[in-house]
Amino acid sequence: MTGTQPALATTAPVKAAMDPIYRQIRDLVYKVSGIYQLDEKLYLMADGCARRIKLLNLKSPREYWELLTAPASREAELRQLLNELTIGETCLFRSQPQLDALHKIILPELVMEKTKQVTKRLRIWSAGCSTGEESYTLAMNMMEQSERLLKGWTVEILATDLNDRSVEAAKAGIYGDYALRATTDYFKRKYFVTLDEKRLQVKSEVKKLITFSRLNLQDDSRMLFMKGMDLIFCCNVLIYFDGPSKSKVINHFFSNLNFGGYFFLGTSESLMKLNEQFHLVHFPGAIGYWKPSLKSGKL
Amino acid sequence: MTTVIINDTIRERVQRIETMPAIPAIFLPLLELLNAPPEAVKLEEVVKLASYDNAIAAQCLRAANSPLFGLAKSPESIRGAVMLLGLRKVETILLTCCLSNAFPTKRWPLDPTVFWRHSLGCAMVCRKFSEKMGARDHEKAYMAGLLHDLGLMVNCIAFPEKFTHSVQYALKEQVAMDEAERGIMGFTHCETGSALAEKWHLGTDMVQVIAHHHAPERSEAAQPLVALVHLGDLLCRMRGMGYGYYESRKVDLAHNPAWSILQKEYSGLEGIDLVRFTFELDGEVAEIFELVATIFGGAAVQS
Repeated sequence: MTGTQPALATTAPVKAAMDPIYRQIRDLVYKVSGIYQLDEKLYLMADGCARRIKLLNLKSPREYWELLTAPASREAELRQLLNELTIGETCLFRSQPQLDALHKIILPELVMEKTKQVTKRLRIWSAGCSTGEESYTLAMNMMEQSERLLKGWTVEILATDLNDRSVEAAKAGIYGDYALRATTDYFKRKYFVTLDEKRLQVKSEVKKLITFSRLNLQDDSRMLFMKGMDLIFCCNVLIYFDGPSKSKVINHFFSNLNFGGYFFLGTSESLMKLNEQFHLVHFPGAIGYWKPSLKSGKL
Repeated sequence: MTTVIINDTIRERVQRIETMPAIPAIFLPLLELLNAPPEAVKLEEVVKLASYDNAIAAQCLRAANSPLFGLAKSPESIRGAVMLLGLRKVETILLTCCLSNAFPTKRWPLDPTVFWRHSLGCAMVCRKFSEKMGARDHEKAYMAGLLHDLGLMVNCIAFPEKFTHSVQYALKEQVAMDEAERGIMGFTHCETGSALAEKWHLGTDMVQVIAHHHAPERSEAAQPLVALVHLGDLLCRMRGMGYGYYESRKVDLAHNPAWSILQKEYSGLEGIDLVRFTFELDGEVAEIFELVATIFGGAAVQS
């Protein structure tokens, strides 16, 4: 679970000792992917680079920078580096500030806006759901509200990924200690069954809320049919897309959201002004993108 | 009309309160130094000012000796601290110590550590924002951020009981502090702070910032500066440098009236990538927390 605030880490002298090339690499990665590494987490980037440098038999970070910027190797190597940077990031309850914003600010707002409608229905899409951690986190959190804010509401969660194997793993809903490192005992007891000593499996009542399927976000014809979403989560997926593809997918997300709906990226990911229609909104410790409601007159 | 009457009453009340601290002797000269371009400030002037108050000089040295700055050699004098840390940092430390000494924190309803994290955080954000949008006076922006919540200190001292209720209400209802103050006390730190700022002759711009940082469109002068502080204040509160409690709200900086005010003045505003700016700010939070802990001796723990 990431805390509400960035963790205390390096002090000034450690920062000063970091090779300045890593700041250059950080800026390049941000420009290309929208992923930002905080100064205090630059050592993670340095670790990732070090693994690549070793694997590629390079002599120095400077040589690695040259590889990252050379036209012939740039694209493929950036992809490898992004893999290094996001590897192992996924876990259930990954961003508590995002969940707090959901409970305390967004759901009350959506419920109030939608109460006048005949069907009390909430639709959530986890786009690029990988092995299902985010989808189940959302499902459990929605279930927690089923006797409170969402009493009498139907919640549908759609979870999609490009990779068939990920979708199958997500459907199984089996997780070990690492994926469950941020899950409290309360949630473990309430929503999981013990499979063996090291693994827990999500209960079927949670699974019922979610429809898992394979989807390519660049498949325009299928993207057109994903309408009527209230919330879309797309974490560390767009970082791999080039500029025009990213813009196109984001435009799809925008049109697939209901007015007043929200779009979320990963916690260190930015939309980088690729869509001017979304309003960037800050919640305590979390950033989201809002599709203005019709009555706000801001569209 | 009602507002004016309330303001006058508050102003009179604040200015008549006997417990209200007198302006610390070195405060205005320090403020003046901080507002001056760095090249115009003489090291001797800072050293001379610091030597007026032994307690402040000692506090400043303690901060300079903190591992935060990673100095190989510990400065033993203000002169040494300036040489090692730079003029701006020492001036900020001096000013912070000076203000905090003027308002004894015994029985403050607000955690002083949280208060200073917010004030120093806002100062830093305002300076960074001022640089990014291409304004001219970054130090003034820093000062405005540092002093904008002066009224909270006034409330701690002058209205401890009512303000305690306001803080408790804000915490329970997860609402903004000024909203809680208005509901419980009938006035806010903006009114009390500006009354003290007037009494201390902090200058029109600073009075406007302190009075209107929650509603910059109401300021009669220095509107862009007030707008800048408004945005800096909001951003700090959304990124772990608020008043130590969860504010249940969303903030849309680019569609805030303050943004439009700045837009008219600074063309550089449009080029700012707000998400990256936020991430960069996150990278500074730990340093702010440690600076506050060093100056005030508290633990560098995040609330």
